[in-house]
Amino acid sequence: MKVLATYSIKGGVGKTTTAINLAHQAAVDGSRVLLWDLDPQGAATFFVRVKPFVKGGAQRLVKKSGSLAANIRATDDPAVHIVPADFSLRHLDLALDHTKRPTRRLAALLEPIADRYDVALLDCPPGITLTSESVFGAADALIVPTIPTTLSERTLDQLTDFLAQHPPAPLVLPFASMLDRRKRLQRDIVAHLMADITGFLPTAIPNASVIEQMGIQRSPIAVFAPNSPAASAYRHLWGDISARVWA
Amino acid sequence: MPVVTFRVPAHATSDVIDAITELGLAFGPRRNVTTTLVDTFDGRLHGAGLRLELRRSELIELVLSGENVVPAHLTVDVVPRVLADLPSGPFRSRLAALVDVRALLPQLRIRMGRSTGVWRDRTGKVVAIAELHEDVHLLDGPVIDRFTMIEVHEVPGYAKRSDRVVAVLQDVGLEACGSDTLSQCAEAAGIDLAGFTSSATVPLAPGMASLEGFRAVLANLAVSIAANWQGTIDQIDPKFLHDLRIAVRRTRTVLGASKSVLPAAILDPAREEFAWLAGATGAARDLDVYLLEWERYTDPLGVEAAAALAPVRDVLARHRAEAHFELAGVLRSERAAELMAEWRYWLAEPLGDDTLPRRADQPLGRTVAKRIARAHKTLIDGGRLIGPDTPAEDVHSLRKDAKKLRYLIECFGSLLPDKPRRQYVKRLKALQENLGEHQDAEVHITLLRSLAAELDATGAAARTMVAIGQLTERLDQTRVSARAEFAGRFADYDSPATKHSLDALLRAIDT
Repeated sequence: MKVLATYSIKGGVGKTTTAINLAHQAAVDGSRVLLWDLDPQGAATFFVRVKPFVKGGAQRLVKKSGSLAANIRATDDPAVHIVPADFSLRHLDLALDHTKRPTRRLAALLEPIADRYDVALLDCPPGITLTSESVFGAADALIVPTIPTTLSERTLDQLTDFLAQHPPAPLVLPFASMLDRRKRLQRDIVAHLMADITGFLPTAIPNASVIEQMGIQRSPIAVFAPNSPAASAYRHLWGDISARVWA
Repeated sequence: MPVVTFRVPAHATSDVIDAITELGLAFGPRRNVTTTLVDTFDGRLHGAGLRLELRRSELIELVLSGENVVPAHLTVDVVPRVLADLPSGPFRSRLAALVDVRALLPQLRIRMGRSTGVWRDRTGKVVAIAELHEDVHLLDGPVIDRFTMIEVHEVPGYAKRSDRVVAVLQDVGLEACGSDTLSQCAEAAGIDLAGFTSSATVPLAPGMASLEGFRAVLANLAVSIAANWQGTIDQIDPKFLHDLRIAVRRTRTVLGASKSVLPAAILDPAREEFAWLAGATGAARDLDVYLLEWERYTDPLGVEAAAALAPVRDVLARHRAEAHFELAGVLRSERAAELMAEWRYWLAEPLGDDTLPRRADQPLGRTVAKRIARAHKTLIDGGRLIGPDTPAEDVHSLRKDAKKLRYLIECFGSLLPDKPRRQYVKRLKALQENLGEHQDAEVHITLLRSLAAELDATGAAARTMVAIGQLTERLDQTRVSARAEFAGRFADYDSPATKHSLDALLRAIDT
């Protein structure tokens, strides 16, 4: 099982929509996918229409071996399951801090179910916290949505610097998110990021109204708008990621 | 994921649908679908508790599922015959670990009208699924009575909802049956989803007459030969020839140990004819192995050298095609057909009034113990004569002696106590691996040299000739290191511990 995480220090950059759409693409490509919603806002949980509920809350989730399996719910895609989030995950850092090896704890929780899935996709809350460090300890790759602003490169640098100081680091796969192609500055920034940052993926996800509709449709874009440019972009993005992760 | 299945009487379908619709399930339109159950000839997926279905409607969809296994779905453009026909990724990787070189073959093809009933909660989330399979029938194979099934699929995390669907179905008088639609079809058609496995072992008893025991072993091997015959001719996958060749070799080994057990009038022509058949399979199998191992041989040479060797691979592939064509000719020949027909007739029919050889009635255990002891002695005597300068042919001859011994142990395995047999085979296997590595390198070097001459005569590129030199050198290193390792491996085998485990093995059957 490969463990991927949609992660960014910044919030509101498209982590959850990326997680939902990549989970769908991975399933279309023949993978069995476990989506793990680690964000107390529970947006990924909402998108797949699952009740936001963690049995025993964050503390029991991280403390008890085998608790992950007990929280798994099916989504409407038979090959995609989810570990839902609820508001108790706001205490996840605290709960992790009470475990023996907090930065390895998420990896340890995933280990018993590694044979059941081909891909675990962790949808992370923003920031660099103890939860993030535990994600870094579990993930084979971080998928980092990067919005085309002048500060983006700096944010990516902060992440790579942090990872360099805390080895072993997962593969970092940034990509351009929420790109408005009508704006020249954004196009230029993305071109610059793709040219200058090692590993920056060649597919950019557009800033499209169809992505906003996910909140109403509560489905991956490829389900309700399969021919849209955004659906096509996520297909290509998954191709970029799988080529790097399974190389 | 858990599934509960019910057979639905034809007159009850609408009542059943009404009952579960009332509960909250909404059925989609009926679609006619063809489902093919795919597996290897030897049922590897079935053996691993998996099921690979190929569903055809507007698309070709592959579904890999199993009990308590999250199903994986993959849409493909062409029906896969071998794993290389599938796109790379986790789906193919999972299959590769089980299927290896085997072809994916249709085991069962059924047609049905499928409608899916979905129960959604207030948010629209699917919480239970029921699949109605109507008018189920086989497309190939025997005609079976058409039937209707309903399968209730538990949605993980929502077991209570599917339990309610099951309860409603039971309330309308349906009884859960133990198998799903595909399994019911397989059963009705008499298809064993476990596939065919070429096993050398048959039930034997030390006290049975030697002739009876030898005939049982040979009959089992004849079944393996016959089962792999057509697949070898059709080149379905390389394992057919492998298994055919092994079954023929085992037959030859057992025949070689059958003197004074089988009547000479049967034994002598059989030995001659099976030697001919075994000889016919050699070239094609050697070339199969060469091509299957190609990447393992060439990858360590680097990308450039591996690319330069492409013409060699092409010539090998051509020679392989020729060898298989020739082999298919042999297998289709009258001589081969007559051999197998007469052989199987003799194995199946009661013995005539001919005078039986002196060991025919003796206890099987005693005869087998003597044969194994003799084969072991031959191996020890031969191995002790091997030195650093012994010609390669003698090492090859020793390899054949080791194989004969191993085949005897495998073919008469059910007589032998399990634990000492495994201990002894472990020792023998270690020696065989060394001999096999040496012989494979030797054969492949010889073949490579003849290909080099062939390519040189046709004006092959200099870089190809250089790469051939590199590959030959690499194979030669393998050969030399295997040869250097032989003395140690043989000493491990030629030890009191081996003798002890062999004695324990034979004592148990020599009653």
